[in-house]
Amino acid sequence: MAEIGHGGKEIKERILQPSEAKEKIKGLPQIPVRKQIANEIIGLTYGFFSPLEGFMGKADVDSVVKDMKLADGTIWSIPILFDLSEKEVADYGVEAGKPVVLTFQGNPMALFEVEEVFEYDKKAMCESVFGTSEEKHPGCKRTYEYNDKFIGGKVTLLKEPKINEPFGPYFLPPLKMRKIIKEKGWSKTVAHQTRNVPHTGHEWLMKGAFFQTYADSSIEKPEVGVVVNAIIGEKRVKDYIDEAIVLCQDELEKAGYFGPHNHLTSLTFWDMRYAGPKEAIFHAILRTNLGITHHMYGRDHAGVGDYYGAYEAHHLLDSVRDKLDITPVYSMNWLYCPICGEITSEGLCNHGDKQQKFSGTLIRSIVTDGVKPPRLIIRPEVFDKIMESAEKYGQGSPFVTEEYLEKRSPVFDIEPL
Amino acid sequence: MAGKNPIYIWINEERYDELEKAGLAKYTEERLAGLKVLVVHADDEQAKRCVNEFGAKHDTSTTGSIELLPREVKNKIYEKVVEKRTLDVVGDALAEL
Repeated sequence: MAEIGHGGKEIKERILQPSEAKEKIKGLPQIPVRKQIANEIIGLTYGFFSPLEGFMGKADVDSVVKDMKLADGTIWSIPILFDLSEKEVADYGVEAGKPVVLTFQGNPMALFEVEEVFEYDKKAMCESVFGTSEEKHPGCKRTYEYNDKFIGGKVTLLKEPKINEPFGPYFLPPLKMRKIIKEKGWSKTVAHQTRNVPHTGHEWLMKGAFFQTYADSSIEKPEVGVVVNAIIGEKRVKDYIDEAIVLCQDELEKAGYFGPHNHLTSLTFWDMRYAGPKEAIFHAILRTNLGITHHMYGRDHAGVGDYYGAYEAHHLLDSVRDKLDITPVYSMNWLYCPICGEITSEGLCNHGDKQQKFSGTLIRSIVTDGVKPPRLIIRPEVFDKIMESAEKYGQGSPFVTEEYLEKRSPVFDIEPL
Repeated sequence: MAGKNPIYIWINEERYDELEKAGLAKYTEERLAGLKVLVVHADDEQAKRCVNEFGAKHDTSTTGSIELLPREVKNKIYEKVVEKRTLDVVGDALAEL
């Protein structure tokens, strides 16, 4: 039975068998790609970005920039682009109708059926997607760093990535994820988008969303699952290391604060754009394709600095609710109240100035010091896993450092055909 | 300088006992479900040293706190608090690193 994703389109993996792959690429020019593009090739070819089958052409880019839709009217918020310099286009002989091979780590990764070569106003793209054209916005910076020529066309994977330890069990592309959700018997699922190690504030965000999603479903057997979908992509110094993120999210389940009957950890390869509302829409699309029925959104989802209002993403989601196949679940913050004596919701506790809020700054400071906090703040098993991950993968730190960026093992490899 | 460029030194049970014996427990503040912290302050020059020499981050946009100081720097600051019986120790600690 066909698996239907975003926009009512069937999700299809675009992956060649190895023997077929070798034949198809004989004599074709080979163009090396950077990590961002490799991540997006995986997104395109496994159906994470369905209904996209390749890098966007000008008509789609223009329609996304102007109307937040693909040219065929399907809602879409962030252009997915392949870029080259004018010189590279000439040197590699890139032109419509002539396929090329995209390589990563020196090995063939994807067949790119070039359909067009075009230019696009990057400032206009920024204004539309990020609501600003300021270069200090990280999404704008990334956009301005694109080369000047964009290439549109379908991509097909030549070699499936080898997902390295410890990420393997968490790479669950759409068709695989949908199969798992069916096997677990979940009629509803709620996505928890994360780039963090979980403290109990996060844990309660997931628990709150679980109940919001459960709503009036039967309680005779487990009907709802929380699907943690960690975004694994470009890192900045001060982020948690990727290994700690996935292992600690999973540790909440392994340690029994959730269970396999209501929780699952997974990842998606994507470089955050910090596009706030437009990225919230993109996340809705991504998780729809993963087969997830609901999506948690807190305040200032996928935002950065003070570019976006706290509820701007919610408003944009509401404006296209009838065109999305996933239900937004809006999450209030959780905090510790010494009077309540528990982690409670800002929507419930009325002890105002007694409330102790979770702060990324304080949590990072506690973790840096290696001082185990009360289990009400970070579960001891999660804390131990943070420290273990720091030693094993982070050169002693659970946070990204220049040394980590230099020495880390790749999340995936593309091996020779 | 009061309130500027805070550095958070988190206090576990062992450290709290030590501070209590030294009569310094009064300097701790309670944050987050009973977890205790000593808050020391760096002047602007000291903050720059923390960033330039020890790879710390200075969160100038929100809390003004100095984050991601290596553990050995924080441990030295804590040792100096106990030794000197004051919170005004960042300069002394950095001088020995």
